[in-house]
Amino acid sequence: MRFCSSPAGGGKHNSGLPVNTENEEEEEDKLVEYFRAQIRGDPDVASAVAAIRSLLEFLRRDQSETILGLRENMTQAIRRLEETDSSVAVSSGGELFLRFISLTSLEHPVRQHCTQSSCSARAQPSIASLLADLSQCKNVMIERGELFLKKISLSRGKVGKLCHTFIKDGAKILTHSSSRVVLKVLENAAADNKRFTVYVTESQPDSAGKRMAQKLRKLNIPVMVVLDAAVGYIMEKVDLVIVGAEGVVESGGVINKIGTYQMAVCSKAHNKPFYVVAESFKFVRLYPLNQQDVPDRFKYTADILKTVKDLNQEHPMIDYTPPSLITLLFTDLGVLTPSAVSDELIKLYL
Amino acid sequence: EIHEPEEVSVWFREGSSCCQETLARNQRFTETPVNMPGADKETDLSERIESFLSELKRCGSGAGSLRGSAETARETTALLRRITAQARWGNAGELMEIIRKEGRRMTAAQPSETTVGNMIRRVLKIIREEYARSRGSSEETDQQESLHKLLTSGGSSEDNFRQHFTHLKANVIEAINELLTELEGTTDNISMQALEHIHSNEVIMTIGRSRTVEAFLKDAARKRKFHVIVAECAPFCQGHEMATSLCKEDIETTVIPDAAIFAVMSRVNKVIIGTQTVLANGGLRAVNGTHTLALAAKHHSTPLIVCAPMFKLSPQFPNEEDTFHKFVSPHEVLPFTEGEILSKVNAHCPVFDYVPPELITLFISNIGGNAPSYIYRLMSELYHPEDHEL
Repeated sequence: MRFCSSPAGGGKHNSGLPVNTENEEEEEDKLVEYFRAQIRGDPDVASAVAAIRSLLEFLRRDQSETILGLRENMTQAIRRLEETDSSVAVSSGGELFLRFISLTSLEHPVRQHCTQSSCSARAQPSIASLLADLSQCKNVMIERGELFLKKISLSRGKVGKLCHTFIKDGAKILTHSSSRVVLKVLENAAADNKRFTVYVTESQPDSAGKRMAQKLRKLNIPVMVVLDAAVGYIMEKVDLVIVGAEGVVESGGVINKIGTYQMAVCSKAHNKPFYVVAESFKFVRLYPLNQQDVPDRFKYTADILKTVKDLNQEHPMIDYTPPSLITLLFTDLGVLTPSAVSDELIKLYL
Repeated sequence: EIHEPEEVSVWFREGSSCCQETLARNQRFTETPVNMPGADKETDLSERIESFLSELKRCGSGAGSLRGSAETARETTALLRRITAQARWGNAGELMEIIRKEGRRMTAAQPSETTVGNMIRRVLKIIREEYARSRGSSEETDQQESLHKLLTSGGSSEDNFRQHFTHLKANVIEAINELLTELEGTTDNISMQALEHIHSNEVIMTIGRSRTVEAFLKDAARKRKFHVIVAECAPFCQGHEMATSLCKEDIETTVIPDAAIFAVMSRVNKVIIGTQTVLANGGLRAVNGTHTLALAAKHHSTPLIVCAPMFKLSPQFPNEEDTFHKFVSPHEVLPFTEGEILSKVNAHCPVFDYVPPELITLFISNIGGNAPSYIYRLMSELYHPEDHEL
């Protein structure tokens, strides 16, 4: 979670875009407040889910007269959210929401013709009313948006259910930093009465691994915190590696907290399976070929991006793990091999 | 609901002799009184299912598999067609429940025989498709979960299959017949591709005895001259039978012991093997010794080609330890005559090996050649994700 305190007032848009009017800025501030409130209220919620919820709220309050205006406002809002929290998940959630709007607004005129012929059981009563004006479209969007939100809030549970069967009794698991999805998977496995030990890396600079260890201790799972540098040392003892992901890229690789790539290379050298657990809304349209290709706006926190001039002196917070090092990806769409990920993305975006 | 007599009598005629035997043996399984018109068909159906189950249990405990997977697949599909025709069901949902229930019993009888489960899942997918077609739904038949579907679905997408259609039974039976025709043609379809992969004066290595590979090599031998090295695959030594069979077609064959696989590999151009199951991640569950063969081939950068028909594709992953391996009596490894050692030593005789997908170059199936990373796609076309767990 990487936040910054946003300065109240304008002067943000120096990229040649028109400056917001007072009203729009107010709306965006409210949006950011709503987003922060979501995160504060429920620390377990995924940042992408909170982002999508905030964007849905923004959609409800939006006053634009045309679809194009709506899209523009949305793009501005997403950009504003990304400035607040620069993680990959927020960016992918935002892009997914934009895609959702385009798909719904495209589909809505087509739906009218369908309802007249064969009335399928799935047709909602509201769609049957055939009015093609914007408010109708917006209502459909809001309804579908609620449904979408409901589905993706369940996705972490689905991933947990899929993955815990891969953890055998007596297994030793290595994980990296703090991931809520991995926690859910281990919770499910523990509830299934499996005995296993967990090694967590400390994950500097923010010691997120220690927080993960505390949460695991509460679940009565034996856990040991190891140094980031001890990954190679501990690899011969573990049976499998499970990590979460901040973003899953088109090639099937993942973007995750710094140190994940190292862990993947070590596990490949020792022939241990390397599993990634991620929800489907983290799929992002990037195709990095190496570490340099990952855009700077994801690598560093929003604070640092704003204040520091020379980014080469800063330490990145994430790294990219190529698909050749990953054995399987567990998502709410099922268990996928890395090559299946690009298929999913193509189905959605093209 | 009375079934049309003409349809049913065809299948009755085929199995009338075995029906007599099973009637005598399984008298205690009949529940309905014999003088009701539908009762004969029901008791006959349950008898057939019971005899199929007991055959499955028996063949697993013998040395090696006494029937090929193709026969098992065909018999399972024929049995499922019979269930569709003779069991009582009002709508697609009930039929799927019946098939699932029988399917669970069948897979429990012999967990290592995955073709049974695969055929059940194929038939369940057929039922879903026919149901969707009968409803005339113009929606995309893409039933997989996808991001796209998540975003665009409006309203509940729960389909209980409760609607009744009069022609559903006939459609499903027709589709199952098509599946049976496909099953019969699989070996030929695979052998037809042999000439593309085998060239003159090549040295091919294989292990054990696979009927598919046998047909593949024999088909290529009609036009090309090549040399085959067969690893004997102890302890059942089915490689010997494979070699004899290949020799009859005038193919130069050499039999080697399993320990010599690595030594001989440098002289081999290609490795062609069969398998018992293809797993969902593109890995294999093949006869023991295959992993050694695959590692040796990888070390020498020799391509490893797997000939496997589509009905061997299973949605399982290699994580289920308790159902993955099958052990048979180790008397082939350490005979009971060696009494002194037996009390001090544990002898195991596993039947299968796991081969990870990184070691495999190409899968040749009846629909063509594919890379192991493409298996997930073939799986999504054959089975519905909700049927992965029966």
